[in-house]
Amino acid sequence: MAEERQQGHKWTMIVDLDKCTGCQACVVACHAENNVPSPSEDEIIRGRANHWIRIERYWEGEYPNVKARFLPVFCQQCGNAPCEPVCPVYASYHSVEENLNVQVYNRCVGTRYCGNNCPYRVRIFNFWAPHFDPPLEQQLNPDVTVRGPGVMEKCTFCIQRIRRAREQANVEGRPLEDGEVQPACVQSCPTDALIFGDKWDENSRVAKMIPHERQFKLLEHLGTEPAVYYLKGGETHVGE
Amino acid sequence: MLESKAVTGPYWEQPDPEDERLAYQLEHGREEHLLLDARPPAELNQVVLNTMQQTGPRFWVIIAGLGAMTLAFLIAWFIQIISGLGITGLNRSVMWGPYIANLIYFIGIGHAGTFISAALRLMRMDFRRPIARAAETITLFGLAIAGLFPIIHVGSVWKLFYMIPIPNQRELWPNFRSALFWDMTAITTYLIGSTLFMFVALIPDFAMARDHTTGWRRKLYGALALGWRGAEDEWHRLEVVSNILSFVIIPVMFSVHTGVSWNLSMAIQPGWHSAIFGPFFVVGALYSGVAAVIIVMIIIRKTLRFGYFLREEHFNAMGIFLLLLTLAWIYFYFAEWITNWYGNLPMEKAIQQMLTGPLAPLFYLMLFCNIVVPLATLWSRRVRTSLPAMLVIGIFVQIGMYVERVLIVAGSLSRNELPFNWVNYTPHWPEVTVTIGTLAFLGLLYALFTRVVPIIPVWEVYEGQAMQQVRRIGRAIAPTRTEVH
Amino acid sequence: MTNFTRRDFLKVGAAGTATAILAGCSQESERWVTLEPYVRAPEEQLAGIPSWYASTCRMCPAGCGIIVRIMNGRAVKIEGNPEHPVNRGKLCARGQAGLQLLYNPDRVTGAARQEERGSRKFKAVAWNEAINTLYEKLSAAGSAIGIWLGSSTSAHLHDLFARYAEAVGAPPPVYYDLYTGLNGYRALLDANAALFGQAALPTYNVARADVIFSFGADFLGTWLSATAYGVEFGQFRDQPYGKRGLLVQFEPKMSVTGAKADRWVPIRPGAEALVAQALLRLIADEGYGGSERAERAARLAGDVDLDEAAAACEMTREELATLARLFAEAQHPLAIPGAALAGTGNGTQAVAVVQLLNIVAGMLSVPGGVQFPPEVPAGLTAPQPSSYAEVQALLERMKAGEVRALLVHGANPVYDLPPEAGVVEALQRVETIVSFNPLVDETAVLADYLLPDRVYLEGWGYTVVQPAFGGMPAVSSQQPVVGPFHDVRSTADVLLTVARGIPAAAAALPWTDEVAFIKERITALPKGAQGGEDAEVRWARFLQHGGWWPETAPGSAPPELAAQGPIGVLPTTYDGDEADYPFYLHLYPSVLLGDGRGASLPWLQSAPDPLTTVAWQTWAEINPVTAEALGLKDGDVVRVASPHGAVEVIVYEFPAIRPDTIAIPVGQGHSDSGRYARERGAHALQLVGAAADEAGANFTWANVRVKITKTERQQALARLESTIDPGPDVHVPF
Repeated sequence: MAEERQQGHKWTMIVDLDKCTGCQACVVACHAENNVPSPSEDEIIRGRANHWIRIERYWEGEYPNVKARFLPVFCQQCGNAPCEPVCPVYASYHSVEENLNVQVYNRCVGTRYCGNNCPYRVRIFNFWAPHFDPPLEQQLNPDVTVRGPGVMEKCTFCIQRIRRAREQANVEGRPLEDGEVQPACVQSCPTDALIFGDKWDENSRVAKMIPHERQFKLLEHLGTEPAVYYLKGGETHVGE
Repeated sequence: MLESKAVTGPYWEQPDPEDERLAYQLEHGREEHLLLDARPPAELNQVVLNTMQQTGPRFWVIIAGLGAMTLAFLIAWFIQIISGLGITGLNRSVMWGPYIANLIYFIGIGHAGTFISAALRLMRMDFRRPIARAAETITLFGLAIAGLFPIIHVGSVWKLFYMIPIPNQRELWPNFRSALFWDMTAITTYLIGSTLFMFVALIPDFAMARDHTTGWRRKLYGALALGWRGAEDEWHRLEVVSNILSFVIIPVMFSVHTGVSWNLSMAIQPGWHSAIFGPFFVVGALYSGVAAVIIVMIIIRKTLRFGYFLREEHFNAMGIFLLLLTLAWIYFYFAEWITNWYGNLPMEKAIQQMLTGPLAPLFYLMLFCNIVVPLATLWSRRVRTSLPAMLVIGIFVQIGMYVERVLIVAGSLSRNELPFNWVNYTPHWPEVTVTIGTLAFLGLLYALFTRVVPIIPVWEVYEGQAMQQVRRIGRAIAPTRTEVH
Repeated sequence: MTNFTRRDFLKVGAAGTATAILAGCSQESERWVTLEPYVRAPEEQLAGIPSWYASTCRMCPAGCGIIVRIMNGRAVKIEGNPEHPVNRGKLCARGQAGLQLLYNPDRVTGAARQEERGSRKFKAVAWNEAINTLYEKLSAAGSAIGIWLGSSTSAHLHDLFARYAEAVGAPPPVYYDLYTGLNGYRALLDANAALFGQAALPTYNVARADVIFSFGADFLGTWLSATAYGVEFGQFRDQPYGKRGLLVQFEPKMSVTGAKADRWVPIRPGAEALVAQALLRLIADEGYGGSERAERAARLAGDVDLDEAAAACEMTREELATLARLFAEAQHPLAIPGAALAGTGNGTQAVAVVQLLNIVAGMLSVPGGVQFPPEVPAGLTAPQPSSYAEVQALLERMKAGEVRALLVHGANPVYDLPPEAGVVEALQRVETIVSFNPLVDETAVLADYLLPDRVYLEGWGYTVVQPAFGGMPAVSSQQPVVGPFHDVRSTADVLLTVARGIPAAAAALPWTDEVAFIKERITALPKGAQGGEDAEVRWARFLQHGGWWPETAPGSAPPELAAQGPIGVLPTTYDGDEADYPFYLHLYPSVLLGDGRGASLPWLQSAPDPLTTVAWQTWAEINPVTAEALGLKDGDVVRVASPHGAVEVIVYEFPAIRPDTIAIPVGQGHSDSGRYARERGAHALQLVGAAADEAGANFTWANVRVKITKTERQQALARLESTIDPGPDVHVPF
C-alpha cells in the first residue's frame, strides 16, 4: 500500500530517542488511560508483561564505555500491517478515517496469529480475565472497554481521544487542530520525546519535522510502513 | 495356484508353536506374496469378522486406560476455557505453542493414509491393498483430532463461529486473505474428502459384514452398505468412483499441509518465512504419516493377529518408502537450513542458535530421530522386516517429527526481530495433558473403530488375489497381474 | 483574559463547581464538599462528559501541577497541568499512579484504634470519639508532644502543626522522611546556606546549558523534581540553532541520567568532591576558559592529588584535563551536585565543592546556570526538611520518655530510617502514637490510633514550590477533585477541632476549618498570572488554574558569595574494613517506587525499572566481571552484608556499574503498607548505619562497604527484557 494522501488523517508519532529517558511515565499513563491491568510478578517472569508501550533497553559497548539505549516500542500502526491480513475474522483491520490499525475486541477469537506476525511484538494477548482489586476498578476509564480474556489488544494511539477531539471539532464546525489530540503517553512524556499529530495536516508539528536527518523507522526493511518515526539518539564525543 | 507351505487350517486359531523357527515363520507370514497366497473368500471374511467380534478383557483394559487419558484431556481443556490460556506456558513472544505443533503433527500423521490409498492405488502398487484401510483410519481420526486443535488453541472459543462464513445480516465475513481461514477450509475439505473416499471403499466390506452378522451389527452394516449387492455394474461404479476420488483427494492432500505450512511461512517471523515450507511440510507429513502407519500396522498385526494379511513384503515396502521419505525430508530440511545460513540475515541467524542455545538438546534429538536412526537402519531388509525394529524406528520418527514441529513453531517464535523480546517457552501441564490426551484419544477412537469396521479391506485383498496369476518361467515362479481394465 | 475560549469557560465552570459544592453544611469537613447522587447531578456534570480539576501532586514534594479527569464523579486520570510552571503539562509515572492511592484497596477506611501495638487488629472508632480521645491525649501531653511530618504533608498542614507546636511550647515539627534523606535536601540546603547565605534549593537551568557535569545527580530519574528536569532536558537536547547540550555524568552506577549522558564516568563512590576539586585545580593550573574563570578557580581551588582523582574516575590525568577544559571553555557550563554526595559523611562540603565549579564558571543567576528561588510574597514559605540532628533530637526525647504523644503525618519513620536509628525502641517509649497516613504502614502498625487523613485528591492544601523552576515563585493549589472515598477526615480539620479545646492553642489556631485558613493565606497573595482583582476571584482562579504564580519571573541578583577560598573536604571514610567488606554499596531510590511510597501502588510495582527492566523485586546490580569472579549469575539470591546488617537480594548482572560496587534500589522490603508492598523484596536501608554526617544534615548512607555471599536459593528475575543472550551475531535493530 503506497502512502498516498487520502481522506481522513494520517496519525503519526515521532519518537526522539535522544530525549527518551526511559522514565516509564508513558507506561503508567497508558495503563491508566487504557485500562490495562498490571502484570503480576509471576506473569512477568513467565514473559507476559502486558504493557501496551514498553521501553526496550539495549546495552552497547563494554564497561566503562557502556551505553544504555532506550527504545520505546508500541504499536507502529503500520500502513502495510502484517497483523491485518492474517486475522481470519477481520478483528484486526485498518481504519479508513484514522489510518490506524484497529483491533475489534469482541470480534477477536484469539488465534494470536496477528501476535506472531507482528515483528514488533506489541500485540498483547489477554491470557487471563482482567482483574482489578476492588476498589481499583473505580479508576477505569469509561471511554475504553475492559477487554475480556482470550482476545488480543494493543496500543490504539488512544483512539478514544482522537474520536472525542474529532467529535468536539465537528460540533464546533471546524477542522481538528494540531496538538488537540494527544495520546496518554505523549501527554505525559516529560522530555517531549514523543510527538504526535496528523502527517497529512501540512501545518502540524509532525509534518514539519519529517523528513528529519535522524529519522528512521523500526525494522524498516520489513516494509511494514510504520506510522511511527524514530529519531536516532544524537552523539557528541568528549574527552576520548 | 500354488500350494501353501504353511500348516493347513486357519493358523490364527492355533497356539504359537514351541519351535522357534516355526514361530518366526508364522510371525513373519509366509515368504510368499499375500496376493499369491489366496484363501477362500469366506475364510478371509471370517478372519476380519472374528477380529471385530472377539474382544478380550485386555482390550477393555486398554480402552479404559485410553478413555481415562481422554477424559484428562477434556478436563484440562475445560479448565483452560474457564480460566483462560494463562494456565499454559505461552507468553508474549511465543503465542503459538504445542497446540499448533499438535495440529501440524496430527494432520501430518493423517497424511499417509490417503497417500497410500489414493496415490498407490493410482500407481497400481499392490502392497497397499491390506494396508489401505488401516492407514485411512489414521487419516480420519488424525484429521478429526487435528481439527480440534484450532478450537483448543484459540483464546475465545465461544466466538469461534466467526471463522465460519455464515451469511449474516451484518454482512461480516471471515477474512479471505487469512492463511488461517484457508487452512481451515483445506482441513475441512480434506476431512470430508477422505471420509468419502474411505466410505466408498468400505461399502463392499459393509455388505460383507451385513451378510455375516446378526442383531445390531446387521442393521448397522445394512444401513451403511447402502444396498450393495455385488453386481458387476456396482463393482464397476465403485472402481470409477474410487479412481475419481483418488485423483481428487491427492491435490487436496497437498493443499492441506501446504496450507498448514503457509500459516507459518506467510508470516514475517524469522524461521518461518520460507518458500520451501509447502513441499517441506508435505514431505514431513508423509514422513511422520508413513511411520505412523507402520506403527499401526504392527499393532494391529500383533493384537488382531493379522499375520496373514500384513506380511514381510508390506513391512519391507513401507520400510523402503520410509527410507525414501527420510532422504526427501533431509533434503528439504537442509535446503531450508542452508538457505538461512547462507543468507545470513541477522534474525535468521538467531534461529541458528539452536545449534548451541537452550533449544540445542531438542534440535539434536530431532536430528538423531529423523536422520540417524532411519538412515542407519532402514537400508537393511532384515531391519525392515523385523517388527520390533520397525516399531522402534517408527516411534523415533514420530518423536523426531513432533520435536521438529515444536522447534519450528515455539522455537522460531521465541526468537524474533527485536532481541529484547526473546522469551523461551516451557510447556505447562495443560499442554502436556492435552497433547498426551489427544494421542490417547486417537488410540481410543481407533481401537473402538476396529470393533465396528473391517480394518482390512477384504474385497481389495481378494480382488488383488483374483487378479494374480503365477507363471513358471523355467524353475522360477513369477507373479503376473491381470489387467482387468 | 483576552482570549476566552470555550475550553477556558469549561475550566472556569469546573472551578465554579468546586466552589459551588462548597456551600454550607454543619460538619467542618462536609461543609466544603458534599456528595450528590447523580440523579440530581450538578448542571455541568453530564454523564460521559469529563470535567477536569486542577490540583497538586503529592506523590513527592516537588509540587507538580496536575489536572484530574473526573467522569461521573470518579477520578479516572491524572495529567500534568499545562499552565503550571514546574511540570509544564507533564507528569511522571509516580504522579500518574496517584489514583491508585485514592482507590487503594488497603486504605484505612475510617478512624481506628489498635489495642495492642503491632497486633494489626484495628477496631473502628467513631470520628467524634477519636477526636475526643486525641483532644484528651494532646491536652494531657501539653508540650510533651512530637510531630513527625513527611514529604506528602501539605504546606498548610505543616504550617498549622508548626503553629500548634509553638502555641503549646513544643519543639517545631520534624519534617523528615526517606525521600528528603535520599535526595539530600538538607545537605543541599546547608551547603547553599554556607556558600550563598541562602538556605534554599537552587534550580539548574539545564534547558539552556551547554555542558553539564552532574555529580551523582539523577535529575532525570528521582532527584528533587524529575519531571521538571525532564522538561528541561528535552529542551537541553534540542536547543535553538540545532545546538545539542552535552551531559557528563559522574556516578558509580549508571542511573537514568547516566544512561542519557554523552559521557558516563564511573566514579568511585565518595570521590565526587575529590574530582570536583581536581577539575578546579586543573582549570586554575592550566588556565582553561579564559583569565576570569582561571583566576576565580585559582582562588577557590585547593590542593588535590590529580592522579588520585583521575584514578577514581578510571581515566588518565590527560582525560581528566580534557574534561576540565571542556567545562571551563563552555559558554554555559553547569555542575550539579547530586543526592549521592549527601550521604557520604562529608556531604555538605562535597556539595559546596561542586557548587564552586558553577561559581568559577560564573554561572550564578544567569540563563543556563544556577538559579536561586525568588521569595513568595505574603510570607508563604516552603517547609524546610529537618536535619538529621533534629530527627535525632526527637528520637532522644522519645527515648527519654519526654514525648507523651507522637503525631505522624506523611512520614513513615520506621521504614524511613535505618534500624540502628532506634525508631522502634523510641516509639515504644511514647504513650500515644497517632498515625494520619492513608495506609497502614510500618509506623501505623505501631500506632495506637489511626486517624486517616484524606489523600491529596480528596483534600485541601497548597504547596509552596521548591525548588522553583524557571525562577518562578509558585504556590500550587490542592483541592478535592472527588468526594472523600472513605470515612476519612482532613487532619488539618481534626487538628483545628482539637486545638479549639486546648487553651494554649485555641488562640493560635482560630480558623473554623482548613479551607478558611488556606483561603486567608492565599488571598493575601498579590494578583498573579491568573488575574483577579477581587480576593474571591483570585481564590477561584487559584483553584481553577492550579495555583498562583506571577506573570513573569522576577529576576534575582546573584547571591553574595560567602566562600572566598578553597573548601576543605574531609576524606570519605567507609563503614567496614576493605578486607572484610570488599565492595562499595551504592543505594539509590527506585525510579518508580521512590522512597518506598510507590510500593503500595500496583502500577508502579509492575512497571519495569528503566535500566534493569525488573519489576516487583529487589535486586543487586553487580558488574558481570565481578559476578563471574564470584560465581554469580542472574537470578542467584545473594546475601549482601555490611557491618550494620544484611539483606537477601537477587543478582542482576549490570554492565554499567563499577566492578567494586554493588547497587541496590531502595523502595521495597515493606513489612506492611498494603498488599502490593508487603513481604516483597528487601529494604536496603538495613545495610546502613544511623550515624550522622559531619554536619548533622543526614545519616550516612553512601559510605558503606558490603560483602556478598551466595545462598543456595534462586529466584527468577521478573524482568521485561529477554533473559536470552542474543549472542554477538545479532545486532540491535537500530
